[in-house]
Amino acid sequence: MNLDLNDLRQLLRILEKRNVSEFEFEDDKTRLRLVRGGVVSAAPAHFAVAAAPVAVAAAAAPAALVDDAGTVYVTSPFVGTFYRSPSPDAPPFVEPGSSIREGQALCIVEAMKLMNEIEADCAGTIVEILAENGKSVEFGQKLFKVRKA
Amino acid sequence: MRVIRACRLLGIKSVAIHSDVDAGSLHVRFADEAVCIGPADASKSYLNIPQIIAAAEITGADAIHPGYGFLSENAKFAEVCKKCRLSFIGPTPDAMRLWGDKVSSRAVAKTYGLPLLPGTGVLADAKDAVEQATAVGFPVILKASGGGGGRGMRIVRQVEDVARAYEAASHEAMTGFKNPDVYLERFIEEPKHIEFQVLADQHGGVWTLGERECSLQRRHQKVMEESPSPSINEDQRARLGEVIRRAVLETGYTTLGTLEFLMDEHGNLYFMEMNTRVQVEHPVTEMVTGVDLVEQQIRAAAGEKLSLPDTRPWSFRGHAIECRINAEDPRSFAPWPGLITEYHPPGGGGVRVDSGVYGGWRVPSCYDALIAKVITHGQTRAEAIAKMRCALDEFIIGGIRTNIPLHQALLRDPEVLSGRMSTRTIERLVAKGF
Repeated sequence: MNLDLNDLRQLLRILEKRNVSEFEFEDDKTRLRLVRGGVVSAAPAHFAVAAAPVAVAAAAAPAALVDDAGTVYVTSPFVGTFYRSPSPDAPPFVEPGSSIREGQALCIVEAMKLMNEIEADCAGTIVEILAENGKSVEFGQKLFKVRKA
Repeated sequence: MRVIRACRLLGIKSVAIHSDVDAGSLHVRFADEAVCIGPADASKSYLNIPQIIAAAEITGADAIHPGYGFLSENAKFAEVCKKCRLSFIGPTPDAMRLWGDKVSSRAVAKTYGLPLLPGTGVLADAKDAVEQATAVGFPVILKASGGGGGRGMRIVRQVEDVARAYEAASHEAMTGFKNPDVYLERFIEEPKHIEFQVLADQHGGVWTLGERECSLQRRHQKVMEESPSPSINEDQRARLGEVIRRAVLETGYTTLGTLEFLMDEHGNLYFMEMNTRVQVEHPVTEMVTGVDLVEQQIRAAAGEKLSLPDTRPWSFRGHAIECRINAEDPRSFAPWPGLITEYHPPGGGGVRVDSGVYGGWRVPSCYDALIAKVITHGQTRAEAIAKMRCALDEFIIGGIRTNIPLHQALLRDPEVLSGRMSTRTIERLVAKGF
């Protein structure tokens, strides 16, 4: 891959648009690594090009992880307690086999008395429920396995 | 790891919170429990107060140790902990705000007689600048009130140059920050950075545990530290210790804190600011005082009356040096993240290694380059230096570059060997090459 400044600019634009936080490319001539900065400040994220030889494959950790073709995982964006129903007496939001639409509430992760509804990223069917009702979950923990529509 | 170690000795269980890329970190592996609180981006994990509090909630933690950096000096975080009935291992939010703010800490220092760098408020005009510069004493540095980064700064060494420098600085400040305000203070050409360690409990017990010299810095990051400072004598230590002790006691500051000073070429100390947390270089103080600072910090935060003897001044033993080992190129300082293929730390009498890494661990690219600290202790400064040279030779870290060659060069540099180093020593060494 031969990159000139314009190519790089275009690449950065694409990555920023797609909300990618880390990008790495390597062939026998080039090694390119782009990491989105902005650790503490609230300033808009920018890319820093690191020339050092690195082979770190850090996950960009979006809310959905892709498994075999057509299956995704919904992961927890919060630390807290996982609840399958909106309240103790109500029926669960979803069951295995339920069809879901994009934006539909699937569960609650409660932290510090705040009930956070976790919404589906895409339409599909619930294959499996991977967290236990009433148990603690951490950031990135898999909650549902979903087959995309 | 340092905190987990202290907790284990105290019989306290620990929960390690971490970002997703730090899942393989040493502290995560050794803590009793671990909770992933967010992605690599610190603003979403290590600086994410709700996630951190939630982690404490789900694990049933009673206290939070903020370490250093991140939220350790964040009074809002300390307040949130208090409201959530979690013990914050550090000073109270009020004490943190009082001492943590540069302006208010200078006012407190003045009240208690701590020496301050002579300086002024905003200058009215060039004539005022000339008068005040003469009163403060040369050399002086003119600085913009509205911002930093070198803009609106001028060093002036003689009175004839003040007026011109004032106009230039003010103009630069105006174009840079839309604010022409300029003030001035005494400029120290070759400053030494000297800091004093305090420890206080919630029952009126206050201990000043000597000083550390941290002059060897690069771009305001400390590289090598030692205790005691070769430039502080017993009398100075005792007198300043007493002044600090009174200030800390009467302002209700508790747990650990460090008061930072600059020393000029004539040996005068000037208070700059206070760090209201445990410092990276705390081990050198531990080696010469025999006090486990983190253990005492936890005890003090828990409300215990510390059982340390009240000997003043504290009795110090020998000399200790610490070298910060960074994952970076030793000459270009380019960060060097990557896989550590082999790891063999040094050992022997008087050699201590505090490290968060191990063989097979991948140094992430998103955080600080510091991966380990080597601390040596000897009966004399020369012995501590000799032990450090041997220890660094023995330290094997394969797969990445580190700044060990820089440390070896520093330990042979005449300024360092004579104890005459300043904050500009490393820049000189780098310019000379090694």
